[in-house]
Amino acid sequence: MNFLHSEWLKLWTTRTTWVMLGIGLLGEALFAGLYTGLAALGEVEHELVEAEIATGIGLLMVLMLVLGVLVVTTEFRHGTSSSTFLASPKRYPALLAKVAASLLVGLLSGLAFVAINAGLSLSLVAGRGGELPAAGELVSIYAGVVASFAILAAFGLGVGAIVRNQVGAIIAAIAFFFVLSPLPELLPGSLGEYFPAQALGSLHGHVEASGALNQVTGGLVLTAWAAALVAIGIALICKRDVAD
Amino acid sequence: MPQLEVRNLTKRYGKTVAVDDLSFAVEAGRVTGFLGPNGAGKTTTMRALLGLLRPTRGEALVEGSSPLAMTDPLRTIGAALEATAFHPGRSGRNHLRTLAAAARIPRSRVEAVLEMVELSGAADRRVKGYSLGMRQRLALAAALLGEPRILILDEPANGLDPQGMRWLRDLLRAQAAEGRTVLISSHLLSEVAQTADELVMIRGGKLVAQTTLAEFTAGGGSQIRVRASRLDALEAALVDAGAAIGRDGAEALLVSGLAGEQIGELALARGIAIHELATQQRSLEERFFELMGDEETGGS
Repeated sequence: MNFLHSEWLKLWTTRTTWVMLGIGLLGEALFAGLYTGLAALGEVEHELVEAEIATGIGLLMVLMLVLGVLVVTTEFRHGTSSSTFLASPKRYPALLAKVAASLLVGLLSGLAFVAINAGLSLSLVAGRGGELPAAGELVSIYAGVVASFAILAAFGLGVGAIVRNQVGAIIAAIAFFFVLSPLPELLPGSLGEYFPAQALGSLHGHVEASGALNQVTGGLVLTAWAAALVAIGIALICKRDVAD
Repeated sequence: MPQLEVRNLTKRYGKTVAVDDLSFAVEAGRVTGFLGPNGAGKTTTMRALLGLLRPTRGEALVEGSSPLAMTDPLRTIGAALEATAFHPGRSGRNHLRTLAAAARIPRSRVEAVLEMVELSGAADRRVKGYSLGMRQRLALAAALLGEPRILILDEPANGLDPQGMRWLRDLLRAQAAEGRTVLISSHLLSEVAQTADELVMIRGGKLVAQTTLAEFTAGGGSQIRVRASRLDALEAALVDAGAAIGRDGAEALLVSGLAGEQIGELALARGIAIHELATQQRSLEERFFELMGDEETGGS
């Protein structure tokens, strides 16, 4: 717990986390307000809320990945890794605390997203006389959002721990989801569905594609990716020299 | 049991050998100066003692065991490695708070060390705006945070003004007087000559000498400065007599290995008039240069 306390302080004592979450959540509030307030109410009104989430979530997803990357690469970039590992000579306790802190930030950001979405999108659509998604459907969408934010932060941390270079790690993490995501679809059978971008889609409830994983399986597959990257990253950092 | 010890420590980076079969021990209750030119392997050795890098061969021990086995690391060793290792956007106070949290050190101790290094007034400013001297003091505050039994400081005098140097000296002397172990590195003997009791000198990753400061000072040796009517003839005679000769400008010789009487007799026998015969103590710095070769340059 002491290491988690330390990592939590590190997160909130520079401007980075505040600025990133501020931009992400403000962006979502603006988008939710404009989109659900102004878009035409058609015959499939209840999808308006879902469509807003599917698009509005994009920026924060990228920010969660980047935040996870920064949790570890910032230490190597500024040389604070030395003092961190002096307090934790075996290194993995401090690194596990970083994973916990990232998951926690992801969960909180997800809950903040849900609160904004529920407060703006739902009330605007309802206020305009539109139809809302069924409660069960809404809960499962929201749960997917919250879980995905936490897992993405951990995923970014894993990539950051492996790559260590800040810019390189950010590019690698984003490429995993957004640049390389069409490639797995070329694979035979349903193999492609087990790749991070596809599993993330399933977790968010985009299961229209034939052969896609269901929401829970998608979440588990994405978690497995993040856990594997984190495990490799921690093993590498424990083995390598802390050069600066 | 020595508080810090390296045994046959070797660290290779590819083909470069940073530390080469180095062995020495550091005892409690005194200040040990770790000296060597830049690139001699001082920082590498210190990092091995802190468990931050893995020796290629040999071992680095803290209180007799691996640094990775420390159960309460910040109360065992406090280290200041470089004055730049801070997040520029975090305040000095918050930097210390993150470290204190990791070791369950109370907030009051953060304030106490800030007071000790005279940074309380600037503690809420972001490190970005700190001078080099302020960063050195913040690094020192971090090292002192856990009231550790051992202090390892890499070039702590860099960037300090003369008052800061004296303050640092007093602080380190006081730490040693309390029975703590203090290891400080420097590439300049003068920075540690007034602080250290013990000297460990390395060059090219190898041990050059381990000695007390008192021994090093006493072993200074002397030489005799000689001016005479026929300097070249005198020089030839002195060399024949087995002396080692250096030149001090065009008109004087620096003679070692012969006593003043012998030089006088030799000159008389050859009918050379002595104009000056003066015994000179060689300075510590000169002896240090001799040991360290010509690589002694500033910067880091």
